[in-house]
Amino acid sequence: MFEGTEDGSPEEIELRIAAVLTNLPIIRSLAASIAMRADFDLDSIADLRLAVDEACSTLITQGAPGATLTCAFTVSAEEIRFVVTVPSTSDTKPSSDSFGWRVLTTLTDRTATWVDGPDDGDTHLVHIELAKRRTEGLPG
Amino acid sequence: MTGAQSSRARDQSSTGYEHLTPLFVEMAETATDDPRRAELRNKLVTGHLPLAEHIAARFSNRGVPREDLVQVATLGLINAVDRFQPDRGTDFLSFAVPTVMGEVRRHFRDASWSMHVPRRLKELNLAINAASAELSQRLGRAPTPSELGRHLNLSPEQVFEGLEAGNAYHSMSLDEALSPDSDSDPLGDTLGQPDAALDGVENYESLRPLIESLPERERQILTLRFFRHMTQTQIAERIGISQMHVSRLLSRTLEQLREGLIGEPEPKR
Repeated sequence: MFEGTEDGSPEEIELRIAAVLTNLPIIRSLAASIAMRADFDLDSIADLRLAVDEACSTLITQGAPGATLTCAFTVSAEEIRFVVTVPSTSDTKPSSDSFGWRVLTTLTDRTATWVDGPDDGDTHLVHIELAKRRTEGLPG
Repeated sequence: MTGAQSSRARDQSSTGYEHLTPLFVEMAETATDDPRRAELRNKLVTGHLPLAEHIAARFSNRGVPREDLVQVATLGLINAVDRFQPDRGTDFLSFAVPTVMGEVRRHFRDASWSMHVPRRLKELNLAINAASAELSQRLGRAPTPSELGRHLNLSPEQVFEGLEAGNAYHSMSLDEALSPDSDSDPLGDTLGQPDAALDGVENYESLRPLIESLPERERQILTLRFFRHMTQTQIAERIGISQMHVSRLLSRTLEQLREGLIGEPEPKR
């Protein structure tokens, strides 16, 4: 009903914002707004909002001082994909044994994390990717 | 869930107020300073209490504790008993129901919002919450914004506005005013600790005291969502609050746990 672009191709939305915890409300509002407008059910909207919050706060605490967080949403007919990236001085991946990781895997359908670089100096890029699928059995 | 069942049972016998009708006439005919009058008034209020409880129950899944609602509804009932004029030809119920509901609605407007939200949006949000509970029952899952829009005959933008208004809804102070167990079901007793489920979580040692220090209801919700894998809508139904309220409580709980694990929260900038 309200989903995506006119030709049905996935819609991409990107937000770049200072990697500080006080910016979390902006990011989670955007996540909820995107899921709402993609006509996800209320449980999925709330789950995505919590998961985005969790992923971003994990990376914010790992980011280099003064870092910028990049949040990319891709909305397709089947799912909303979210990739958050932060430059970090460390090449440590977020632990998949942590409680935070359990939160992410419970709330979403797909979760991944990886580290790129360094391609300039000693800055690594740490990523977390999430996907929330549209609940089956929904009309349209 | 026993509350909902008993109110439904009461509903079926809700024509059982007829025996009280003559008392109104009697009270109207009794002088104001006659001690019989206070006695009649008492009987009328007590006799109609199930009505107040029933109306309170209809509003009970929206983030305000049921006891508060029953209290407010009872006040509305007392007002209705005092103001009802039996010689006007209407029966008491058709006079009392709107009076009591009005009182409960006013309570929602006055007590439950943390920032100024226009009344239209508050009522929109309440309508969406009620529709969401109803549709969840029917569909067996949470509804989508477009389903809510169709059900309430609202445009998508109106539904979005109403959903967003829910983020300004303040139920925390009311929750905190409650003693931990006053409105929770026996779930807390049977649930146990999430200890076994936490096995293998690396920060288990620092996490466990944080979870244990959570208020009873927050711990229940956390456990049901992350260790029992129930959806927010299922949790809402089980605990007797709205899905939006579950969402707010979960969000706040996760934030507290994160802050606790990190140590000091990042200073505000």
